[in-house]
Amino acid sequence: MTLDFPMVLRCEWLKRRRSFAGWLVLGGALFTPAIIIAVRLVQHAKLPALYANPAFWPSLWRSAWESMAMLLLPIAAILATSLVAQIEFRNNAWKQVRTLPLHPATIYAAKLAVILVLIGQLLALFSVGIWLAAAVPWLFVAGVPWPSDMLSPSFVFAQNARYFVDCLPIVAAQYAIALHSRNYLVPLGAGFVAWIGALGLLQWKYAFVFPYTYTMLDYLGGEPAGKVTVPAIGTAPYALGYAALFAVAGYVLFATKRQKG
Amino acid sequence: MHCLEVNDLVHRYRNGDVVLDGVTLRIPAGSIYGFLGPNGAGKTTTLRLILGLIALQHGAISIFGLQLAAHRIDILRRVGSLIESPSLYDHLTATENLALLQAVHRVDEAKIGDVLDLVGLAGTHRKKVGEFSLGMKQRLAIAVALLHEPELLILDEPTNGLDPNGIVEMRALLTRLNRERGLTIVISSHLLAEIERLATHVGIIHRGRVLFEGTLDELQRRRRTHVALATNDDERAIALLARQSIAATIADGRIVMPAMPNTAIAQVNRRLVDAGLDVHELHTAGDDLEAIFMNLVSN
Repeated sequence: MTLDFPMVLRCEWLKRRRSFAGWLVLGGALFTPAIIIAVRLVQHAKLPALYANPAFWPSLWRSAWESMAMLLLPIAAILATSLVAQIEFRNNAWKQVRTLPLHPATIYAAKLAVILVLIGQLLALFSVGIWLAAAVPWLFVAGVPWPSDMLSPSFVFAQNARYFVDCLPIVAAQYAIALHSRNYLVPLGAGFVAWIGALGLLQWKYAFVFPYTYTMLDYLGGEPAGKVTVPAIGTAPYALGYAALFAVAGYVLFATKRQKG
Repeated sequence: MHCLEVNDLVHRYRNGDVVLDGVTLRIPAGSIYGFLGPNGAGKTTTLRLILGLIALQHGAISIFGLQLAAHRIDILRRVGSLIESPSLYDHLTATENLALLQAVHRVDEAKIGDVLDLVGLAGTHRKKVGEFSLGMKQRLAIAVALLHEPELLILDEPTNGLDPNGIVEMRALLTRLNRERGLTIVISSHLLAEIERLATHVGIIHRGRVLFEGTLDELQRRRRTHVALATNDDERAIALLARQSIAATIADGRIVMPAMPNTAIAQVNRRLVDAGLDVHELHTAGDDLEAIFMNLVSN
């Protein structure tokens, strides 16, 4: 498996060329920054005071992450996972993939890696988008100072890593369902129901037992009012535990599927 | 030597229906093996089992002398396949489709151009596979199957949906591959005429059982011959023949008699002419392959 993996990953990465994946990453990452830019250009009179605020960057970061953590990241994880699995179903290509001289674990891991890279791209591009949400109004509106105390790269990386881990259980669960369902509506429907369920459970003190809640809990846990209950050990151990569980279960289902193509 | 051996395959659907009932096949190396049977006979299930696409319930499969269950990956490195409709990525070009597998099979990049040339798709350039005709897709699927220079090619109904010209081209390509590269080809079809023109060996399957397996010559030796006769008064001719204890019947507007030596045929002719009948046609005829196939299947 180890020797084949880079080749198979390259092969899987090529498959998403000219698919919806690129637009998903681009749209998901730049949607919120674009809205922030538009709002700030419309309300340009308030910008000098806003940009002079020493808490400009933390404030921008949190406001941008609100829609990302609550909506865009879970939905992007659901869509990206369905998309990658559906490439084979839509093209009737599972029988070709399954007759390649590869171990099922290699195929499973390579496709999962492609989804994770797409999520990583989304987060990286979103961080660039947040920076653009500050820079574009500054460029176009005269008299606006460049905001001080920019967020450090290590902070940005740590935050992205945290949210990346938070969405792993969603990816792993959706991947297990998507590989098993020829009908793309099944994983999408299950994902949306789970996401709505997670929103509904947020106020519950044991919301952290539900694996689709972690991006939301992580974001809302930082609110001063303490709207939600975050476990003392944080969400990461739960997220990693669920992700491992779903990934193993998904692999067992994939490897033992009766009809392999 | 056998390239592929299948022993006593039994396969049941979940509802208990038996799809394959003790299928045993011996496919010689270097042959073009026509796997023939009506729709629903069990051809695709057999080929899917051979490729490991369905879990084996009973029996054994050995390819290149290796057991499939224990050496699946080693075997698949030497096998190319096309099962039912082509498995291609419509949003990619022909070259990109091949590049995916070139990475996995680790073959030289130049091979992509070679196989595209071989199947006549070298000029497709930036055209996406989704814009290809079915014939072009079938040819590209063959190119995909050939990219890693397999020793065994398994094709399930590869001429499905092809126009007559496409069928002729496909046949010419497969014959060339077999002759020039010594490639063993297993090709399933429900079209007898197709197999007759292409195969060196034939396996006939019906309702999950193998009814015949052997060379095309052996199958043709099963031809049942008869003597066909046409006269200006067939009813009277049959009455005259009956008096000579020759069991004659009328079929397809002709009198059909059992096979007989040439001297007996001449005698029949003489007697009919002597009786004042005009003989328009008198010759020995045999079942065509279709009739042999139908006899096997209907029995």
